[in-house]
Parts: sequence; C-alpha cells; structure tokens
Amino acid sequence: MPLDSLIILQEGTRLKIEKTAVAGTMESSDIMVTLSPGSVGGIEIELESSVEKQFGNAIRSTIQDVLTELDVKNAHVKALDKGALDCTVRARVKTAAYRACNCDSYQFGGQN
Amino acid sequence: METIVMAPAAGRKKADVIRFLDRLSLSFDPKVQVTVLLEEDGELLATGSRDKNLLKCIGVSPERRGEGLAAAVMTVLVQDAIAAGFSHLFLFTTPSNQELFSGLGFYPIAVTGDVLLMENQKNGVRDFVASFAVPDTKGITGAIVANANPFTNGHLYLVETAASQCGTLHLFILSEEQSTFPFEVRMELAQKTAARFPNVFVHPTGEYLISSATFPNYFLKDKSRTAEVNCALDLEVFCKCFAKPLHITRRYVGEEPFCPVTARYNQALRETLPGNGIELITIPRREENGLAVSASQVRRLLAEGKLEEIRPLVPEPTFSYLASLKNSPERNPL
Repeated sequence: MPLDSLIILQEGTRLKIEKTAVAGTMESSDIMVTLSPGSVGGIEIELESSVEKQFGNAIRSTIQDVLTELDVKNAHVKALDKGALDCTVRARVKTAAYRACNCDSYQFGGQN
Repeated sequence: METIVMAPAAGRKKADVIRFLDRLSLSFDPKVQVTVLLEEDGELLATGSRDKNLLKCIGVSPERRGEGLAAAVMTVLVQDAIAAGFSHLFLFTTPSNQELFSGLGFYPIAVTGDVLLMENQKNGVRDFVASFAVPDTKGITGAIVANANPFTNGHLYLVETAASQCGTLHLFILSEEQSTFPFEVRMELAQKTAARFPNVFVHPTGEYLISSATFPNYFLKDKSRTAEVNCALDLEVFCKCFAKPLHITRRYVGEEPFCPVTARYNQALRETLPGNGIELITIPRREENGLAVSASQVRRLLAEGKLEEIRPLVPEPTFSYLASLKNSPERNPL
C-alpha cells in the first residue's frame, strides 16, 4: 500500500501550509526540504541537486506526488538535494509538510 | 561526533570558539544569539553562529575539511533559524568560500574585498528589485534611502527637490525594525506624503539596504564609534543590485549635521558612487526657526509631550499620526 495511506487524517481536513518548516539535512545522501506557504498559488518547487542532470526531474515529480497525495494545494518548496534516495525524498517532504501544517495527528506504522 | 547548540555561547565553550576562529583569522561576534559547535572527543572541529537571520563566524578545522562538517553545522544553524521564525537567511563569509556555501543552498548577493554576502533565496535580491521597475522612465532616475523615523518636513523638502530634478524618483524606506517607529508606520507616512508627487515611487529596502546584513553598525547604540562604520557592502549592494537594474544615476542625501554615523555614510557615498556612474547630490537641511528639521528632534518633542511644537516640523499625515498617539498611549513607542 502507498506510504501516505498510513497517515490518519481527520475526515475532511486538508493540509494547509501555515508556516515555514524544514526537514532533512544538507549532508550527503539526504535532502533538506523547506516548505512555506505558497505565494503564487499551486505548488512551486525550487530544487538544487548535486544530481540535477540525472535525477532532477524525478526528484521534482516525487515531491509533487507526495504533496498531491497529502492534498496540499498551495506551497513553496525549496529542496537542497545531496543524492537522496526516492524513499528519503518522500519521507523528508512528508515530514516538512506535517511540520508546516502544525499537524501531529499521524501514526507511524499505520495499520496494526 | 557531538553537536552542541548554545544560545548564546558562554563560558569555556565560548572561549574555545573564539580561539578556534582566531586561528582561522576570523573574529567572533559577541552579538550572535546562537552558536553551534561540532566536537569530537572534546575537540572543536567546526562552528557557526547566528544573529537573527544572519549566519556568521562559520569555520571548519583546516585538517578536517572535505568531510562535510560545514554541511553539518549549516544544517543545525538553518533548522534552528527556521524554528525561530527566520526563513530568509543571510550569510557572511570570505569570497573564497563561495563555492562551498553555494553547495549548501546559498546564493551570492555582493562581495567587497574580504566579505561575501549570500542569501538562501535564489535570485532573492534580483526579484525584489525587479518588482520596483517603473515602465516608460523618462529623464533622470534618482533614489533616496531614508529611515523616516518619522517622516518630517526635512524628508519632504528632500523628496520635493529631488522629484523636481528627476523623471523618476525611487524613495526607499528602511525595512529594518530597529527604529522608534515600526516599519509599517514609517512606510505608510512616507507613502501618504509622497502621494502628491506622481513621479515618486516608495519602496521598502527589504533586508538589502542599510540592514543588519549590509551595514551592521548603522544600528549601533553607541554612535561615537564612527571609525568602525563599515558600509562598503551596503554601497556595493546599492550600486550593483539596486542602481544598475533600476537605471538609477543619482542619489540624493540630506546634509547631516547631527548623526556622525550618517555623516560618515554620506562621506562613503561621496567616495564610492561616482566610480559606479552615480552622481551624489547633497541637499542642505530645511530649517525651521533657524533650526535644521530632524526626525530626532521630532522624537524628542514627542517624548516631552510638546505636540504643538511638532506641527510646523512635519507633514500633515505624520502630525495626524503623532496626535493620534495621545489617545492610545499604548501605541506610543516613546
């Protein structure tokens, strides 16, 4: 099952980015994701990646996917990538999104 | 490896940081609020500090470069800054470190001899200034940078004189919140009074002109230390990032008989601007009853409750605002 279905959200809540939040580090094999309320409407992604040529578009599309799955409609994403694996990208984006929404109603492990 | 965050650094650790930076020919700024230390077996390997939204005093042990220690320090500094509510960050470093910090999400704004100023927004200053462009500019484009704390008849006279000599006049109001009156008030009063001049455009300076980042000592409480006034970075940002894209060829300043820091700043403008194709025009102070009108005088009269004596010194919007403070003393900053 997709990772994001493990998140329990109150019914009808949509994640709204309320403040700037960050997840991840600048260290090798990681990605630092900073999420802020969007200014232009929609998802805006600004990516700096050490593997931009090989994986830039793949990383952008992963970021977009995670936010779509979380039903985030409006956000500015700044990502500093140091060669993170796809699962790392997903985890960092999701963590940053939850922090930016002041939301703590998630359960790790999900379906027991 | 151990990461220590101190807010602020104190005691033996602080002494360690000072000694460590000294070996790298860097100095520790006592104003910083947060210092990060990276240690291994009690030995300091890397450090970095933050003063509000400004990252500085960042250094890595020469024997341990290339191991990602700068990234580790920067990670903690940036995470801590964002948690403290600062997302637009600036960084001071030496020009030789540009590549290192470019890899850590920072972009260059301006460089002078030994200092490089960077920010964590791509095209930050470029986009900020581009939003001020005026279409169909005719004639000379001039600029004034003012704190307007608050806007007086002295400012009005300066703006009026400059506006009469320019096709377009950009009036920049200091965004930095270190003045008696909040930015919002200073900006609004400037806009209301400048509205009578169709060729005057009022903008914020953002964090780019006369800010803690570009001109740290402007806001020093002890204004006698003029020898330390270091505004080279500020002038570089004005010339390259503001004047150039906006085609500003003139900067207007008021004569400064009172504040030694501003007087020193004006002197630096005189020395630097012509080499960048910008003419500096100094306008004599407007006098009222034989006294030069100044914002500091207005603030003093306000503190003494002499509202009527302020009336001849300020434009109507400023007077209305100051008079309104009487009814809501909680908003009175004095």
